[in-house]
Amino acid sequence: MSDRYSFSLTTFSPSGKLVQIEYALNAVAQGVTSIGIKATNGIVIATEKKTASPLIDDTSLEKVANVCPNIGIVYSGMGPDFRVLLAKARKAAQKYKRIYNEYPTTGMLVKDVASVMQEFTQSGGVRPFGVSLLIAGYDETGPVLYQVDPSGSYWAWKASAIGKNMINAKTFLEKRYNDDIEIEDAVHTSILTLKEGFEGQMTEHSIEIGIIGGGTTGFTEGKEQPLFRKLSPSEVRDYLANIS
Amino acid sequence: MSSRGASTGYDRHITIFSPEGRLYQVEYAFKAISNSGITSVGIRGKDSVVIVTQKKIPDKLLDPSTISHMFKLSPYVGCVMTGLIADARAQVTRARQEAAEFNYKFGYEIHTDMLAKRVANINQVYTQHAAMRPLGVSMILIGYDDERGPQLFKCDPAGYYVGYKATAAGAKQQEALNYLEKKLKKDPVLDFEETVELAINTLSSVLSADFKPTEIEVAIVTEADPKFRTLSTAEIEVHLQRIVEKD
Repeated sequence: MSDRYSFSLTTFSPSGKLVQIEYALNAVAQGVTSIGIKATNGIVIATEKKTASPLIDDTSLEKVANVCPNIGIVYSGMGPDFRVLLAKARKAAQKYKRIYNEYPTTGMLVKDVASVMQEFTQSGGVRPFGVSLLIAGYDETGPVLYQVDPSGSYWAWKASAIGKNMINAKTFLEKRYNDDIEIEDAVHTSILTLKEGFEGQMTEHSIEIGIIGGGTTGFTEGKEQPLFRKLSPSEVRDYLANIS
Repeated sequence: MSSRGASTGYDRHITIFSPEGRLYQVEYAFKAISNSGITSVGIRGKDSVVIVTQKKIPDKLLDPSTISHMFKLSPYVGCVMTGLIADARAQVTRARQEAAEFNYKFGYEIHTDMLAKRVANINQVYTQHAAMRPLGVSMILIGYDDERGPQLFKCDPAGYYVGYKATAAGAKQQEALNYLEKKLKKDPVLDFEETVELAINTLSSVLSADFKPTEIEVAIVTEADPKFRTLSTAEIEVHLQRIVEKD
């Protein structure tokens, strides 16, 4: 059905820039803010769930998602593009597990996802993904937080923000972050950071928070280890009550 | 130092990013839906889901029984298509294929949200691959889920999909959504007849018209009868009568 374009749409400008990637980053910057904070005993990732209308059933929309039991993911940018990457990430994790009978380390999974994103900046007839991802995982090396950009480049962060309010959010985080922060504090800080740029009323239905660690352990792959889970609306409500 | 955000001009012709990070082709696809001149509405009640759309016969010589924007995708999931009818048929055919394949592979009927996700993922591919343009249609899916009750989803050319309590698509989409937001603000519990009434009244209100039974199409799924079906003209007449009597 598809006649593939055999040439790349992302090409160098005379100044040496890949403008399609820059434009993709602009698309991300229009997306709602997401935060990730690494603590000594876990990681928290959070985002605003901005629904355009009260008619939307917000239980059908999941922005913070799990990739495998010990890795969670959140995005800023174009929702449909995220769905594709989430499916590819989950498949990559299962593919690894099938061969080695254990889930990949966060670093390995991030490499897989990032290389997919890079392919779409070079392959024929496709555009880059309009999302930045925050991937949080807990493996033998401890908790680790990665950010992946539309270009396919990735770095590990202690704390990061992506999306609309990222500059202010990162300034806020720089002030509040210290290397000994614990997961409870990290959740608290992430909510405060989101609140900085939040338009409207912040309720347990308008933000999504996922954590790894902090006592959530589960038995998987024959050993007890921290698992990724999303906070329930009542837990989020408790945190929100504490900050006001 | 390069010039600020100069596009090559192709960003309006294929789905690549514009300097501001927009996809013009996707935005134009949305315009094509508004230009179709038809508005559709979907409402989820307590134990039923209803979709309603206008039935416009542009030429008296056309056979009205062949003109429909309501489609059954599987015995328990159906949809109303708004936009370019040719694109609509293409998407419906594909959705029917996906539903049938699912049933063949897994031995049970596909759920509404899964089919919606599949359609939305296919739409996303068109927004990313330059070789295929996005389709100029919005699909409002309905179905009855035995675990979660009545379901209403909408899939648009951007590849976006989400569940709704009520939604609209087409020419008067925004007016219909405003009307629905007002009516559903207090979270009323709607039984089947109230749901049908609200759907028909929404269309009447935003189009400032009283409908004859041949001027609208209605399709439903209910808890009592979870099979997707379209109402006959006689059944629509009954609902319209009840609305008139209420005034």
